[in-house]
Amino acid sequence: MTKQSSSANIQSDTFELLTLPSITLEHVSQPAVRDAVQYFDPDLITIPGPRNPKAHASVRDTASNSPVVHPQLSQGGRHIQHYRYTADTGLHEAPNSAPPAETIDVIAVQTRDLLGRLHAQLISDERHTGSDAATFVIVPQLTVEWDAASLSTTLPSAADLAALAAALPEPVTIFAGGQPAEYYHEWDLQHDHTAVTVPVAGLGATERDGSQFAQYACTTHGRVAAEAVDPDEFGLRALNGIGQATATRLQQSGCRTVEDVRNLAVSDLTDLSGIGRTTAERIHAHADVLDSAEPLVLTNKTPVKTRDDRPPLCIDIETDGLSPTIIWQFGVYDPATDTHQAFVEKDDPTDPEPVLEAFITWLLANHDDRTLLAWNGHKFDYKYITQFLQQYLPEYVDAWDDVWTYDLYKWAIRDENALLPGRTNKLDHVARALGYDSAGTGLTGAQTAAAYQAFMRNPEGSASEPDWERHEQYCEDDCRALWHVYHAILDAPRRDVTDSGTGGASGQQAGLTDF
Amino acid sequence: MSDDTTTPDTTHGTDIDVATLIDTFPRTSLTPESEYLETIEQPAKSADTAPAADVLRPELAEPYPYDLFSHQADALDALEAGDNVTVTTSTSSGKTHIYGLQIARNLLDAGVLNADGSRAADNNDASTALCVYPMKALTKDQKEALDDLYEQLGLDIRVEIYDGDTQSGRREIREQADVILTNFAALNIYLEHHDKWSRFYSALDLVAIDESHTYTGIQGMHVAWILRRMQRVADYWGGDLQYILTSATIGNPEEHSEELINEPVTVIDNDGSPHGPRELTLWNPPPRDKTSDSTPEEDVFDIEADAGPEETDTDDGEFVAERVPASVEAPKVFNHLTSRDIRTLLFCPSRKLTELSIQRADEHRRNNPRVYDQSTTVGREAYNAGLGRSTRHSREHQFKTGVLTGLATTSALELGIDIGDLDATVLMGYPGQRQAFWQRIGRAGREASRSLAVLVGDHRTLDQYILTHPEYLLENDVEDAVVDTSNNTVFATHVLAAADEIALDEADIDTFADEDRLRAAVKMWREAGFVDGYLDAAVHYCGPSRPQTRVNLYGTTETDYHLTLAGDIDRDRCGLSEDLDLEPVEQNRAYRDYHEGAVRLLNGQQFEVVNIDENRAQPTIELKPVDCEYYTRTRNKVNVLDAESEESREVNGFTLHFGRGTVLVHHHSYDQLYIGNSEPKQQGIPTNVPPILMDTQLCWVEVPEDVETALVRKYKNYGVETGVDPDQTDIAHLGYIAGLHAAEHATIQTAPLELRVDKNDLGGLATLVMDTHYTHPDYDEIADSIRESFEAAAHALEQRTQDLAVRTASGWFIYDAVDGGLGFARAIYDNFEALAERARDQLSDCRCGQSNGCPACTFDENCGNDNKPLLRASAIDVLDQLLGEADRNDLAEHLPDDEYGGERRPVVFYS
Repeated sequence: MTKQSSSANIQSDTFELLTLPSITLEHVSQPAVRDAVQYFDPDLITIPGPRNPKAHASVRDTASNSPVVHPQLSQGGRHIQHYRYTADTGLHEAPNSAPPAETIDVIAVQTRDLLGRLHAQLISDERHTGSDAATFVIVPQLTVEWDAASLSTTLPSAADLAALAAALPEPVTIFAGGQPAEYYHEWDLQHDHTAVTVPVAGLGATERDGSQFAQYACTTHGRVAAEAVDPDEFGLRALNGIGQATATRLQQSGCRTVEDVRNLAVSDLTDLSGIGRTTAERIHAHADVLDSAEPLVLTNKTPVKTRDDRPPLCIDIETDGLSPTIIWQFGVYDPATDTHQAFVEKDDPTDPEPVLEAFITWLLANHDDRTLLAWNGHKFDYKYITQFLQQYLPEYVDAWDDVWTYDLYKWAIRDENALLPGRTNKLDHVARALGYDSAGTGLTGAQTAAAYQAFMRNPEGSASEPDWERHEQYCEDDCRALWHVYHAILDAPRRDVTDSGTGGASGQQAGLTDF
Repeated sequence: MSDDTTTPDTTHGTDIDVATLIDTFPRTSLTPESEYLETIEQPAKSADTAPAADVLRPELAEPYPYDLFSHQADALDALEAGDNVTVTTSTSSGKTHIYGLQIARNLLDAGVLNADGSRAADNNDASTALCVYPMKALTKDQKEALDDLYEQLGLDIRVEIYDGDTQSGRREIREQADVILTNFAALNIYLEHHDKWSRFYSALDLVAIDESHTYTGIQGMHVAWILRRMQRVADYWGGDLQYILTSATIGNPEEHSEELINEPVTVIDNDGSPHGPRELTLWNPPPRDKTSDSTPEEDVFDIEADAGPEETDTDDGEFVAERVPASVEAPKVFNHLTSRDIRTLLFCPSRKLTELSIQRADEHRRNNPRVYDQSTTVGREAYNAGLGRSTRHSREHQFKTGVLTGLATTSALELGIDIGDLDATVLMGYPGQRQAFWQRIGRAGREASRSLAVLVGDHRTLDQYILTHPEYLLENDVEDAVVDTSNNTVFATHVLAAADEIALDEADIDTFADEDRLRAAVKMWREAGFVDGYLDAAVHYCGPSRPQTRVNLYGTTETDYHLTLAGDIDRDRCGLSEDLDLEPVEQNRAYRDYHEGAVRLLNGQQFEVVNIDENRAQPTIELKPVDCEYYTRTRNKVNVLDAESEESREVNGFTLHFGRGTVLVHHHSYDQLYIGNSEPKQQGIPTNVPPILMDTQLCWVEVPEDVETALVRKYKNYGVETGVDPDQTDIAHLGYIAGLHAAEHATIQTAPLELRVDKNDLGGLATLVMDTHYTHPDYDEIADSIRESFEAAAHALEQRTQDLAVRTASGWFIYDAVDGGLGFARAIYDNFEALAERARDQLSDCRCGQSNGCPACTFDENCGNDNKPLLRASAIDVLDQLLGEADRNDLAEHLPDDEYGGERRPVVFYS
């Protein structure tokens, strides 16, 4: 298997939209917003949710390099704002002329009521879009309503949205301001008695899932891949041990950013914030980690034990969803030989047994003395492998129980043995922050599950057959990323912050030899 | 008997009969012939048994110390045959032993136990059982009962409780217990991590649902869905399970059980347990002496306490405006029985009254020194779920061992907690349902000796009906238990939980829910973003974590309001603990009982609500401890909007409908009332809470035009007789609408007589303009256009009335007073004639002699219009016409000679 080479193309064909919901901005400090904008580095920023000129001004102030559209404000008297993106020219406001066909268009309407006018403009050639690349329409306060008593939902302005999608030759994707950030649903709508499929993605201006900041990689095909991050992961709140009250106190003292904290002496930090020395040391250490993108090990515990000196096998599984009916892919990367092994069910998605058996017999036959390493494995990978073995191959349960399994996420994050850079604890975010060079499949976990779900529904159809190579590569990428993180932890400096910072060089080294 | 006998003997009953009770009771006017006493004799019943060896294998039959009652034998045979079984027999008829023995058989069959009762292996992967109880106190009690049984049988069976109180060893219990005892709220949560229970579920072959009749209404709906989810999990892990339900007597045990477990059941109801003769006395308290100006209950008590002679039945045969409340009278009867060493339970309608009753019983004893020996005391205590666990347990134990002779209890002791044998029960008021009535009085009685039950009636509709129609109690048909699995709001919540536990797919069609409904729910949640995937592959939950926590067994409104002390209160100074330990309340109750300015008594402390904070994720009600001389009572207005008929039928020209609609309830203002005499201190203070909209189920009746026309004319001269103030008598059609209003009240109040429904779960509205409350194709739904204002809705209705120049009908609505509906309106629609007949009887039989009725026939304590206007006569006419029991021609004399012109009808409606 060769590494995917087209990653560069995927990157540049894709434009990055960042959403900062106005209701979320009300609770987030200016430095945190600046931090988020720097972290995501978007092409375009949008502020969905209720009209809030102050939030708009504040974001514009922090994001001087990216245009900021708050559609509820009619900027310059324009109720419909229109941006264009191509790989060559980047993002710019649309002039009133026909663009090249491969242009991605991003159109934001002030209210739902303007969708009819937008439709009229598009069919009368008063407004133009690129016909070979997707058009994205931002509707800032669109919220799907549901009524459990009648088991029905309503998509407001469905007829207008269907008309827009039908009017344009290119794919049209709707951004619904009032839906959660990771919401994505392809609505089957009607226009002129013809079925129209309209993908709707959420922009997060809702309290439902806890409000988030999110960035969307938007492709020329109209697909969106969302990366949602809790706003508490930006600014001072990103530091473990700093809550809202401490953050406010520090900001009032002029200490506004992670870098500011890093530059403070620990004693100043305790004075300013009123927190204890142990916590302050931990905060300080975390600031070092975030700012330097170097991990830090806090204890003298080892993340993994092996039976010999060979490194652990890095494993990742892919399922059809969060309550899996099949583990359809097992990926195992062996750092000892730098080889990757994938087991994928490509024929019969209704039978989880063959792929499971292929994996478990391979593992037990070849590597029963090896240690396994996974990210969040106890809550997911190992849990479901055990469950599926109990269900389908109970004769292997005991042998599987004897395999040494470790969970690097649990060791580092839940058991607090290490501080890692990265704004979330998702493996790809942590690995990226640690300098891992991703294969860039452009896939998310939700998308790879959705692709397999489509295959499950229609295993015979060629249209629904997943691009197996791409999905295998996605899984391999996670296995290799895990090895990268593990290796970074092995190489990381060790500091026992509970020991009041007295750990000298020798103390650190003593711990490291355990690895 | 020697003087030094101090240990009461609880193994032998003290024979008690009504004649003795009446003869010795300190009230001279009291004789067995008293107009307000009626005694019904119930004969003894002997045991019907079968030798244990006929049913059980020798290793169980030999150590089992009893014969089996016939129902135990039948149930064990049915279980052996593989049936699901519902056992509906009396309290203390050995229902626990049925499933206890079945579990033992299963463990022996599975080879977990050797024939000698020892464990064959340390692990049990072969046979487990789950027992679910409605209360934690009962769980504990039943664990002891099962442990005792297995000790007696010499079986090494691991019975463990696993619920919210289980602090340690949870993993060991999951992995090693043979029998796990829990409750449904806990089970709902545990289903999420079913993989941790894989051993237990893969071996699960018996699920026992104890006191299953308690799962009715909203709780029943949730339990039905939790059981369906549990069944999915058991199926997934390969458990092959059988259900046994034990129930008090209900009208529909088969239907109710099958609705709960979604499988056929065999009902065992041939009670083989014995009981001695029982006397049942219906005790109507004497009239209250109005001239003595003694409204506060305590004063009445003092005046009456020692004085027989004043208490005479002066009003024999006449209407009694007011009687001594049951809350005062019942503790006297309780005192009298317990003072005579008769082991007695007093059932009270509230926790507060259990405490008060003990005080009042003691007072009655003190105030009658000639009757009761003042040198001794009687062991009597209160018992209710508000008491701490150890207090409750110790009182159970003290009663069982005879240290206590009496317990004043809430419904908490209605269920099968083992408190030993007792001789008498006293009921403070009719409990609302025959099922609860029989369950309560069934607590008393032993095999041989005589037992006594006294129902002390209250002066309210239901009680007076029962006391004047004792045959009602003796009819054999106990109320049905309503479990409405067709409720979509509840169903949809459980769809999310089920998808989270195990992905939903087409295999769930018909086993979990029917196809159309499952597809609709999945589509809705997928479009709303809570699930992904399709049923032809797999549907996964993808919303906020732990959807199981959305299941609220005790109400459907999603928002709970937490009760907390206001921030500026100094706890220590007020002597209040950190945790008020009060259950959260749902929105409707919050707006009704906890608006700003409300004064409530909570755990013996008076509190005033100082703030409702709704602008946060967890709405909060802030309380301040107060000591004031008044309490508060809320007034509300109700309207029905956008009703849409789903089914209708004709009854003697009347049209009955069942459908859905929006009910708007506005707790708009409140009164302050003096605690001592309930006189108003200040009235009509605004609550400043917005109206609540409920999407719910309704049943309604339309009166035919000729009946309406005739009755409007027949009662056109009625005014103040309807109870309204003189300045309001000019309302058009007053006499007629007052009749509709009374008919609406009466049908709601008699609903519990026919159905297992609490009348507080129902609401109603009588109106002259039915059409304006309907959904209409030319109009938007009114409910959509108003959020904040009751007046806006009323205005919209008025506008619509004027627009709709067509004739509109009059009639009344009855609705489920819970968002989403409970299925009660549906049951009322199906049983309307029976309900109307009871309502008519109540109205015509009442001897109050008042044209607008009384608390015993037309008044409703929940009326939003202060029980005005009401008119019995026109209500009786309407119901008689509906029932076809009056000739339509009788009305002809009231019809106008020419075509009825349809003078404009006022937009009035009364709830």
